[in-house]
Order: sequence, then structure tokens, then C-alpha cells
Amino acid sequence: MHRFFTTLTKKPLLAVLTVLGITALAAISVATSFKMETNLDEYMPKTHPAFVYSEEANQRFLIKDAILIAVEHPESVYNPGTLGKLIAIEEALHEIEGLSSSRIQSIHTGDNIVGTEDGLDIRRFYTDAPLSQEEAEEIGATVGGNTMVAGRMISKDSRTALVTVELPESGFSNDLYNEIMRTAENFAGPEKIHVAGRPIVEGTLARLGPKDMARTAPLVILVITIVLLLVLKQISRTIITLFVVLASTVWAFGLMTALGIPLYSVSIMIPVMLIANGVAYAIHFYNQVDFFTKENPGSNRSEIAANAIFFIGKPALFAALTTVAGFLSLVTSQVYPVKYFGLFTAFGVGISWLLTMVLVPSGIVLLGNGKALAKRNGKNRKTTQPFGARFADAVSSHKGIVYGLAGLIMALSLWGLSRVWINTSFLENFEKSSAIVQTDAFVNKNFGGTSSVNIILDSDEYDTFKQPEVLALMDEMQGSIMGLEKVGDSLSLTTYLKRMHFAMNAEDPAFDKIPESSDMMAQYLLLYEMSGDPDNLWKVVDSDFKGANMVVQLKSDDSLTIESVIARAKEFSDEFAEKGIAINFAGSGYKSLVFSNLILTGQISSLGLSVLIVFALVSFMMQSLILGGIATIPVLITIMINFGLMGALNIPLTISTALISSIAVGIGVDYAIHFITHYRERLKDKGDEPEAARFSMSHTGRAVLQNAVIVISGFMVMVFSVFPPNRQIGLLVSLNMLSAFMATISVMFLVLRKSSSILKDRK
Amino acid sequence: MKNRSMASSLAFVIAAFALLSPALAQNGNIAPNASSSASEIMMKVYNRPQPTDMSALLTMTLIDSKGRERVRSIKQMSASFGTMEKKIMQFQDPADVRGTSFMNWSYAEAGKGDDQWIYLPALKRVKRISSDGRGDSFMGSDFSYDDLAERHPNEDTHKIIGSEAIAGEECWIIESSPIDKNYSYSRVVSWVSKNKQLGYRRDYYDKGGKLLKTLTIHKAEDIGGFLMITHTEMHNVQKNHRTTMTFSTMEVNKRMHESVFSERSMMKAL
Repeated sequence: MHRFFTTLTKKPLLAVLTVLGITALAAISVATSFKMETNLDEYMPKTHPAFVYSEEANQRFLIKDAILIAVEHPESVYNPGTLGKLIAIEEALHEIEGLSSSRIQSIHTGDNIVGTEDGLDIRRFYTDAPLSQEEAEEIGATVGGNTMVAGRMISKDSRTALVTVELPESGFSNDLYNEIMRTAENFAGPEKIHVAGRPIVEGTLARLGPKDMARTAPLVILVITIVLLLVLKQISRTIITLFVVLASTVWAFGLMTALGIPLYSVSIMIPVMLIANGVAYAIHFYNQVDFFTKENPGSNRSEIAANAIFFIGKPALFAALTTVAGFLSLVTSQVYPVKYFGLFTAFGVGISWLLTMVLVPSGIVLLGNGKALAKRNGKNRKTTQPFGARFADAVSSHKGIVYGLAGLIMALSLWGLSRVWINTSFLENFEKSSAIVQTDAFVNKNFGGTSSVNIILDSDEYDTFKQPEVLALMDEMQGSIMGLEKVGDSLSLTTYLKRMHFAMNAEDPAFDKIPESSDMMAQYLLLYEMSGDPDNLWKVVDSDFKGANMVVQLKSDDSLTIESVIARAKEFSDEFAEKGIAINFAGSGYKSLVFSNLILTGQISSLGLSVLIVFALVSFMMQSLILGGIATIPVLITIMINFGLMGALNIPLTISTALISSIAVGIGVDYAIHFITHYRERLKDKGDEPEAARFSMSHTGRAVLQNAVIVISGFMVMVFSVFPPNRQIGLLVSLNMLSAFMATISVMFLVLRKSSSILKDRK
Repeated sequence: MKNRSMASSLAFVIAAFALLSPALAQNGNIAPNASSSASEIMMKVYNRPQPTDMSALLTMTLIDSKGRERVRSIKQMSASFGTMEKKIMQFQDPADVRGTSFMNWSYAEAGKGDDQWIYLPALKRVKRISSDGRGDSFMGSDFSYDDLAERHPNEDTHKIIGSEAIAGEECWIIESSPIDKNYSYSRVVSWVSKNKQLGYRRDYYDKGGKLLKTLTIHKAEDIGGFLMITHTEMHNVQKNHRTTMTFSTMEVNKRMHESVFSERSMMKAL
């Protein structure tokens, strides 16, 4: 291997041009066939039973994501203008491409079903905009008297009307999002128009994340460039290091697009990983170059390059191989975006290593080793070197403090770990003060809720859901769920049947219950089918009455709320099972809950697998189980602190934050391998253990410190991002770099020294 | 807007089919001559004689996109008494709704709404229903009230857009566009027989201009001198739902007595 890269330095220009050529090709591939996948459903494993079931239920009960448009009037919506506006909004929405046949519901489309002394009164609240204020107020009085509608389509304080828009099968596109927002804006004044609902939050998130990343990424790179310049003190070195990092990203994305794989929102984590990992290879290389030129002043360019290739090549290859294996473990994930993240990050890491080995020596041969070096060496010889050595001594003589502190941090991390929670909420990604959160809160305050979960009941028997005892149990469950916090509303077959029973008995409260006989159910349902909108019925029950769908509306989209509903429903599963009925769940909120859990369990098991891979590979490469074990120390400590701090700082586990923990593997193992290699080589060379400890601390320690400083300063820029998830990425990446660095130079360093006595004894 | 009350829609079932099947008794085989405009053809179809009373057993089959069928059979009677039209429909099947009856009285006087009653056997009581009957779908079927309503040709503009043979019948293809854009459909295309002036097919386009539903007449029979449609199907192509209606034991002009249309007869088997 050394020979290959050393030979390459003989033709540096060819090597550089080849790399530039491939990079250009990759860039062209990205530029021409770049495709961003924004449909979240595409992320989900289609064959997973929970998704298959949920998808089927969506078809059966016409479950669709809906957008909620709330029209808020300063005083009351019961005036000719606002009531007319509801009709106009409905018409304008139908004009939008893709919404022409969507169900759009409001007080205008609703039926008022009222029971009277001698019968039943079914009419619309209004068909045309009222002409006078009196007429508008009459409509208000009618709405107020109907409990099915008051609070569902019009807020209890009469100031806000709701328009619900079901999205087409084709899903929610960026264009549709823009069209709806523009249409809604046109109707503002004097009313305020609020647009809410899961698709809006999802859409905004899909837009904001990459947009904010595009804004902060140049800043991250700028800061990294500045710090690289300060640390490396040479423009050529800075450019080469930066190029390695950026080119590896371009190659990875280039390969992705060339293979026709779309970019997912998770793919944003690929460059994050590559920047964090890629800088390290060049830093170690230049560190060795500086060390060699200091020891052997007057060496020519080729000698310098060959020496660095010889000394850095092996540990860098080991580190790269281990990191690649670590990321490849993500390929076992059931979720394609994560699979691809693992695959292409692994590829990118390999490329970072390859480009470092090609470009850094070629750069030295072509551009020389810089003039600043001689001066710097003269100045730094006395300060830098002894500091590393003194630090090594200090760590070694305060073992108690180091282990004690590490133990304390681990204990605190364990405590934090117990507090880590998974969140699938889209809304949590926004500032509390942001318009989208405020709108959501507004709609939740006035109506049933912007999120929903569907409870699906299945039986093998026809007409099961006409049986009074089945419906009574459903009603009991519904009542119990309605008692949960953050549950705002619910709708099921029993809601309609109770309402019909009540209305057909002159609205006598004694009849606000499930009818007694299945024939009566059937007849009420027939009556409803003939007089109301039968599609309403087919949203809550199968036409053969073998299945039913209970829609529960929630005032929060976080996992805890959805889980509380699921848990409560499951309490009834035994009673339903006795009647031959199974309980399942569906809807987009439920799907993303299952999806996140899938990603997270996958990520946790993949992390475990990576640690094993690190142990096995390092043990094999270094021919020692003990050294393999030592190499896992920074990885394990970093992982612990990462999750511990997430718990302590209340940063929820999401897809992105979970993937960041992969850095621990990449960086931790990199630091460990370089450190261990240099320590062992020096020890073998000189036979003086304390000297080897001092040497490795000041030599590798310096490179590790530089690498950590560069990456941390770059990612700290993201802490000032306006988009909370990107802030978390910045914070966690920086934190992981710091933990890996600290763990390497403290605990791992001490254990490494300790191990040498055992390893030596064996020899 | 026309009154499209729930129960009176039954009348429209008959009316609509009559619309497509002008009686042969009086007009005979009047083939439209070259000067016949689309509007004239539609107007002739509209101004057709009807039997004064009719009774039949309607079998309505609803078929969803998965091929699941729901079959309902309904005994129905209708008759006109001067300016008044009275109808009763009573469910025979499925068993759990057997005996459920709807009665409707409609009046020619402008502004006078229909009177409607419902009888639910499980409730053992006749209830009055007041309704503006806007429900989009007729009895949960793929027929909407608009499809069944007797629509005056003056409400649309018509043009002949071609001719085509359907099931061996030479037909004019006539496109009708509503003058009031609030109508449920953006346009309706009808295939009207050149010889019998019997409609064989109708395509309904939604407001977005896409084909929504197709009505097909499978069978028309001469009953008591009137050409009555006895088997028809509406296919909602967007939802892939179908509804077929078959009329059996149809009888016309039996001089039905007005007392048949009473609350008392709703409560017993017809």
C-alpha cells in the first residue's frame, strides 16, 4: 500500500488531475440528476406489517391527511362577509390543481340534523351567503343548537370557522403547499386566516431544514477554513484539507444520484459526518510531516511525503476501515434513507482517506512544504512539545481524579440516558414563538385538534358493528379515551348512532345512548345513508360492517400523546377479543411513530454492532484483544455522554439526532487508533514507556486536538441556526468531538499505559 | 335550485329514466330531420308523456371498488293526483331494514316543499322529515340527486358533437353545458337514439373537467305502451364504484287509489 501511494507521488500532477476529473464528473452527476424525496411515505418500509395494515386501513376508511384552514373574525363569524368567504374559500380551493375532487368541509357544507316532536329536520345551515346581519345571526343560532357541529366546525366563542381540506391520493407537493398558502392569504382581512395541520407542518419542515442548512453550511465551511488556516498556517494545506472533505461529499452524492437514489432529508447528515471525519485524516498526515521535518530538517519533498505515507498510511487505513465498517452496519436498517446514509457515508469516509493519501503527498511534492514551518518550529519547539509531555505526566499522576471524573460523568450520563425520550413530533422542531407553532396552538385551542390517530377494529363476522353490545363497548372505549389529556375530539360509528337515536326521539337526553337492537341500528344507518352524506359513514365503518374506524383527534403531535391513546385502547383489547374483534391502529401520526421507533431501534442496535466491529477489527489489525478493547473506550464514552446529555438537555431522539451518535464511532476510533499506533511504535522503538506516553500525547494528542478544535468551531456555527433541529445537530456534533477527544487523552490514555505492562509481560 | 328532497328522488328515478325514454305511444318514430338542433332533440325528450301511476320492485346493487356487493330490494309505488305526486318506497331486503318505508308527496306549486315521512319498524313510529334534501348521493348509491332530477333543457346549452352506434342503435352525441356554473357537473354528454329518442348512455364530467361517472341503459321494455327502462347502471369511474338498478314486476296505469299513500300503509307490508 505504501508503495502504491509513494509511486503516485512520482506523478503528482496526474494524480491531482485524475481526482479533479472524477470530482467534476460527480459534481455534474449531482447537478444534473439531483432529486430530493419529500414524500415521507417514500421513506417507510413498504413491507413492514404495521405499514401494510395502516395503508390498507387508509384505503378502507378513506383516511386522508387534512389541512385545516381556520378563519378568525375579530368579533364573530356570523356576518354576511365571513359566511360568504367560507363559500369563496371552498370554491377557490376546488380550483387548485389536485384539489378539484377533494372533500372540503365547513359549516357551509354541513348538514343540520335536528330531532323535533314529530320527526326529523335535515337541512344545511346555509347554501348561499346570507344577505343581512339578521340572517347571519339566525345561522349562528342554528349552529349553536347543534352539538355535532358547535366546537367542530365553528369555535365555541363563534369567532373562528374551520375549513377542512382532504389531500389527494397523490400526496402533498411543494406546489400544492404554495398554492394553498397563497389562496388562503388572498382571503385575509378583516378575518385572520390560519393554515394548520400535519401536512403543513411536514411541508414547512421539509422546506425549512434544507433551506436553513443551505444558509448555515457556507458559514460552517468558512469557519472551518479560518480555523484550518490558523491551525495549519498554510493556504495550500488548508485548501487541500478542505478539498478532501468537500470532494468526498461530492463523490458520495455523485454516486448516489448516478445510481438514481434520491436525496432524503436524512441525507443532510452525510456531509456532516464526512466533515467531522474527513478533516482528521489530513490533520494526522500534516502532523507527521511536521514531526518528520522537525527531526530531519533538510529532507526533500519526496522524502517528507514518503515518510508520512509510511507512518500515517497504516493507522489512517485502520481508522478508515473501522469507520467504514461502523457506518456499513447501518445497512442492516429496515429504513431505506438510513440504509443509504450508512452506505454512502461509508463510501465517503473511504474516499476521504483515499483522497488524503493521494492529494496531501502530491501537494507536498508539487507545492512544497511551506515556508512558515521553519519559523514556527523554532518558536514552538519549546512550548508545544513540553505541554503535551507535561499534560501526559499530569494525567498519569492524577489517575484518581481522571477515573473519578470519568466515573462521575458516566454516572450522570446514565441518569441522563434514563431520561432520553423519542419524539416523532414535527412541531417540536420549530420555535415556540414561530408562526407555525402559534397557528397550531390556536387551532388546538378552538377545535378538536390538529393531529389524529385512527383506531381500527376488525371482525370476521358480517354486521358485527351493528351489534348493540359491540357498539356499547366501543362507546365505553371512546369515552375512556376522551378522558385522556390532549384528546380533543373523537368520531366513530357510535357518535352517529347516538346522535340519530337522540334526534329520532325528539332530542330526549334519555336517548343519548346506543340504541338497543341491531335492527334499529341498521334502520338508523339506512336513514343516515339516505339523508346525509354516506361517505361520512364509510369513514367510520366498512360497508359490510366487519370493520370500524374510530378517529381520535389530538391537540399535540408528540409521541407521548399518541402512545397514551394507543395504550388506553389496548386496555380494551381483551374485551374486544372476546367478541372476536382485533384492535389495530392507522393514520400518518401512528405510521411516523412506528417509523421512528424502527429507525431508533435500528440505530441503537447498529451502534452496538459498530462497537463490536471496532473491537473485532482493531483486535485483528493490532493482533491484540486488549488493544481492541482499549480502542472502544473513546467510542463507548462518547456514545454514553452523547445520549446522557441528550436526556439531561431534553433533546429528544429523532432520526437526525440518533444518527449523530454514529460520529462517536467514526471519530472515537480514529483518535484511538492513531494514539495507540504511535504509542506502541514509539514504545517498540525506544523501549521507554514514560517517554512513549509523553511522545504520543504531544504528537498524536496535538493532531487530535487540532482536529477537534477545527470541527467543533465549524459546527458551533450551527448552534446559532434559526432552525432548532440544525441547532441540535451543531451542538451534538461539537459535543461528540469534544467527548471523543477528552476520552482519548484521559481515560483511554491511562488504560493504554496500564495495558503496556501486561502486553510487555507477555512478550 | 330544484327541490331534490330525499324521498321525492324516487320520483326522479322514474322521471330521469323517462327523460331518456320518450314514450313511443304518441310520438312514434319521429326521426329528427336535418334541421333538428341539439336543443330540440333534448326538448322533445323532456316533453314526453308519462304513465299516471307505476309500481315495481327495484333491486339496487351497490358494488365497491373491491367488488363487494350490497343488494337492496325496494317495493315502490308512485302516482300523480292532479298537481300532486305521491310515492312510497318500502325496503324488502336486507332483513334488518325490512319494512322501513319512505313516503313523499310533492307539489307542482312553486315554492311548496315536499312532505316526507319515514317509518322505522324498530321504532314502530312514523316520523315526519323536513329536509332540503341536498344529500349528494341517492340512497348511498352512485346516483346523485342531480342525476335523477328532471332537468329542464333550458338550463343547459346543447350541441351535437357527433354520432355513434351504441348496442346497434344509431345515436346523436349531444354535449350539454350548464348555464349556471354551480351545477354539479362541468358538462354532460348524452348518447340519444336517432330513431327512438331513447338515451343509451350519459357521461358526467366533474368541475375539474375529468370524467366522473358513466350512466348506461342496459334494458328498456315496453310496459303498458310506455317504453320503460328496467335495467341501468351508474359507474363512478373515479371511485370505481358501481350501482345497478333493476326494475321487475313493473306495472303502469293501474288506477292506484290515493289512500294507498298514507301513514297507515307505510306501517304494513305493501
